Amino acid sequence: MIFRSLQRRIVIVFVGLLTLVMALILALVTHNNGRVVDSEMARELSAGTHVFKLLVEQNQRQLEVAAKVLSADFAFREAIATQDRATIQTVIRNHGLRIGAQVMMVISPDGQLIADTQHAAANPSPFLYRKLLSVAESEGQSNGFRQLQDGRLYQIILVPVQAPQLIAWVAIGFVADDKWARDLSAMTGLAVSVVQRDGASAAVLASSLDRRKRLAMPFALPHLADNVPQALQIDDEPYQSIQLPLDQHTAVVLQRSIEQAEAPYRSLQSVLLTIVLAGIVIFALGSVMLARRIVRPVNQLAAAARRIEAGDYAEAVPSLPPDEIGQLAASFDRMRARVASREQKILKLAYQDTLTGLANRTRLLEAFERVPKDGRGAIAILNLDRFALINSALGHPVGDRLLSEIGLRFGHLLSNADLVARLWGDEFAFLLVGVDQDAATRFAESILANLRDPITVDGQRLDVAASLGVALYPQDGQDAATLLRRAESAMVAAKRQHKNIAFAGDIGDEQQHEQLSLIGEMREAMARQEFLVYYQPKLDLASGEILGAEALIRWRHPERGLVPPIRFIPFAEQTGFIREITPWLLENVIVQTAQWQKEGLCIVPSINLSALDLLDPGLIDHITRLIDSHHLPAQGLCLEITESALMEDPALALAHLGELAALGLKLSIDDYGVGQASLAYLKTLPVHELKIDRTFVDAVADSPKNAAIVQSTIALCHALGLSVVAEGVETSAELDWLVGNNCDTAQGYFIARPMPADELPNWIASYGVGPILRRTGWLAT
Amino acid sequence: MTRPGHAWLAILLACSGPAWAGTLEAYVATPTGVAVADAAVVAEPLSGAIPGKRTMDAIEQRDRELNPYLTIVQKDTAIEFPNRDPFKHHLYSFSPAKTFEIKLYAGKPVKPIVFDKSGEVALGCNIHDWMEAYVLVVDSPYFAKTGSNGRALIANIPPGHYRLRLWHPRQKKELPLREIEIGAATAKLDAVMDVAPRIVKPKPPLDHDQY
Repeated sequence: MIFRSLQRRIVIVFVGLLTLVMALILALVTHNNGRVVDSEMARELSAGTHVFKLLVEQNQRQLEVAAKVLSADFAFREAIATQDRATIQTVIRNHGLRIGAQVMMVISPDGQLIADTQHAAANPSPFLYRKLLSVAESEGQSNGFRQLQDGRLYQIILVPVQAPQLIAWVAIGFVADDKWARDLSAMTGLAVSVVQRDGASAAVLASSLDRRKRLAMPFALPHLADNVPQALQIDDEPYQSIQLPLDQHTAVVLQRSIEQAEAPYRSLQSVLLTIVLAGIVIFALGSVMLARRIVRPVNQLAAAARRIEAGDYAEAVPSLPPDEIGQLAASFDRMRARVASREQKILKLAYQDTLTGLANRTRLLEAFERVPKDGRGAIAILNLDRFALINSALGHPVGDRLLSEIGLRFGHLLSNADLVARLWGDEFAFLLVGVDQDAATRFAESILANLRDPITVDGQRLDVAASLGVALYPQDGQDAATLLRRAESAMVAAKRQHKNIAFAGDIGDEQQHEQLSLIGEMREAMARQEFLVYYQPKLDLASGEILGAEALIRWRHPERGLVPPIRFIPFAEQTGFIREITPWLLENVIVQTAQWQKEGLCIVPSINLSALDLLDPGLIDHITRLIDSHHLPAQGLCLEITESALMEDPALALAHLGELAALGLKLSIDDYGVGQASLAYLKTLPVHELKIDRTFVDAVADSPKNAAIVQSTIALCHALGLSVVAEGVETSAELDWLVGNNCDTAQGYFIARPMPADELPNWIASYGVGPILRRTGWLAT
Repeated sequence: MTRPGHAWLAILLACSGPAWAGTLEAYVATPTGVAVADAAVVAEPLSGAIPGKRTMDAIEQRDRELNPYLTIVQKDTAIEFPNRDPFKHHLYSFSPAKTFEIKLYAGKPVKPIVFDKSGEVALGCNIHDWMEAYVLVVDSPYFAKTGSNGRALIANIPPGHYRLRLWHPRQKKELPLREIEIGAATAKLDAVMDVAPRIVKPKPPLDHDQY
């Protein structure tokens, strides 16, 4: 978290860098000071040592001079020469006072102490300080520091008394006490101590140090080597020390206090440290302020970005001082405005049908999500009847304006809770909230009633009818997709049954489930060759011969058995899978027909084309290739097309029909009578045949009205040069009627059920056309 | 060449010359073979002291030096101390053999000093510390001192037994006495004597500007 905040990072980096630099400087200064102190110490110690030696030597010279002057004094010499010890004793006292010596001794040339101011001994005794004597004997004189019997330290000068040859030695001692040490200390700048060393123990004989340190000193001394400067801890205070041996048992220790030497640097360091710390604090405060100034607008921007991220475009990005961040904020604000406007557009595109201004499918699905789960509701799907015809006859602009006009009307009909959406083409859907079946029925009727008022588009009055399918929530489905699907099924059913309104609940759903699974299995079925072609013979009523057969696809499902085409073909059409089925069917049928021809059986097979097939630009080439490769004459193949297939895209359908007709293929209009196509329209098509829907044929025998329609249709077709095929001939009465009314061809269970290809030749061979036609009295036997 | 502890290296006696008088030739050197000057060689007759004639000798002071450095006299000899320098001197001796003092004087002192006791006498000047001279007072008329070549010759010694004494003001130790026989022939003596070099005490120059 610490490093996530930009502000903290800025502060940490700035202060960290400064601290680093300062630490380096401090370390450098400290290190350098240490070196300076060390070298200064060494210099001071060495200079002090030098001065000390000079002073001692100078002092010694003065003492020597004094001693020599004394020893050369005639009276003194005379007194010594008397060899009278009492006289000598008084003389040395007297003369010692003259030169300020504390100790005087007279030693005979053979080393006997004759007189001593400290002790008036009765007899001469050997002089104790042999070394002084031996040096004096060879050098003429000698000197040294000695601790005498009174325990005090003396600087002793030994000079000869000559008259003029050596008659005695006189030792003159000057006490080296603390005052002496302090005087030397003042002049050398070093602490001066004279120590006595006796093996491991040591004693301080004279020192300029204070009492405490003097007492502590003997403990430190054993660590000190001669003539080598080294640090010595005395009473917890470090001293750079050097020991100069005076003789075997005494030495001078000169010391420089390290603390004193370091003191000026310490104070410099502490001042520097204070400055550094103050600098860091000031810098830290400055960094914090700067970081705040940088980060505050960034945070404001970030807050604005979060609002925008959450979809709140309303609040403008705060305007900031016109620096870089201010410019960023301004850009950001412009971006916010543009994103907001684009989102508006996208929402519109996403949820609105551009043609009618109504909601689209997505919007409907979303709206459905807001229907209370425990409430009621309905989805109704409305499809305009014969809209394709309007589109093709009056043109798409008129169709579009019609749709938007209808959309406008629907919009007025709805309460706030309800929604109308255009799903696609001429299909609308209504979401009705809180309605039961009765309310839905009333709503549907009101819609249809509303549509009954003619709509004027570009000055043309258009009569519009529609079919409605209604699915109710929750009984028909739990989700919008299911309800839409079931409502659509209901709508399709309504249209098929020529009813205005159908409820999903009335047409059942089991079939639908089966269809769903079938749709999924169709592709595998194709691969597993579960599709078969059955042929239903078409009886030529003029000759009484079987001249053609309708190729009908069958699905031999491994579990469900033979599935009739009505159960899967519509969905193959809806899903587009028909585009794979039809070519397969075409090839299968053409191969079979060619086979039959070789066997001498001349059958013209009819193949159904769906709307998708008809619009498929590759279809014509495919057919051409097939009939060419199997040497089948184009006239030997009939293509059946439903009216509705023509209505999807009439212009393209017509163009393709023209090409197919030009190839010489026989074209047939299927299911005539179900749709709204008029003969006047049909005659513009390059077709050769009309198949009258089974509903009419079923009724000819008992309804004179139906009979009249069929009769006139046949007459009209013939007048237009079309041959007529009657489907669904199930009784001999129907067949009789058809024969009697000059229908050209009949097809139906009465003649034959659809059969596998391999059964057809035998069936034809065994088909006694005679009995049927004879019975009708057509054929004179 | 020499064995430690033996001062006398060799005494070669030659029996030649007239019977009424003998000669002693001595050569004194340090153990390192350096000839020793100013060494006194004294032959004292064992037969008894020979009374001295009252004679005079002199040690003069010239150029702030006492000269000669060593004077050997028979007991009872008087020595004059003429001062040839243009300033005064103050001669003294604290030696037991003759303690005296001639306080500041110029020219010739009123009386010569009679050395009436045998022994060694060190002479100094109280106002010129470097001035130094020695007088050896002996009980015999037969003595000589070595020259700078280390040689000394005592002639006209009556034949007989003698105690031979060697002495030097800066000798490091006293040599033992040795008896010798002096005959008609020249007696030759090689002696080894350890002598400290003469210390030349600093003598300030006379230049007034410098002093």
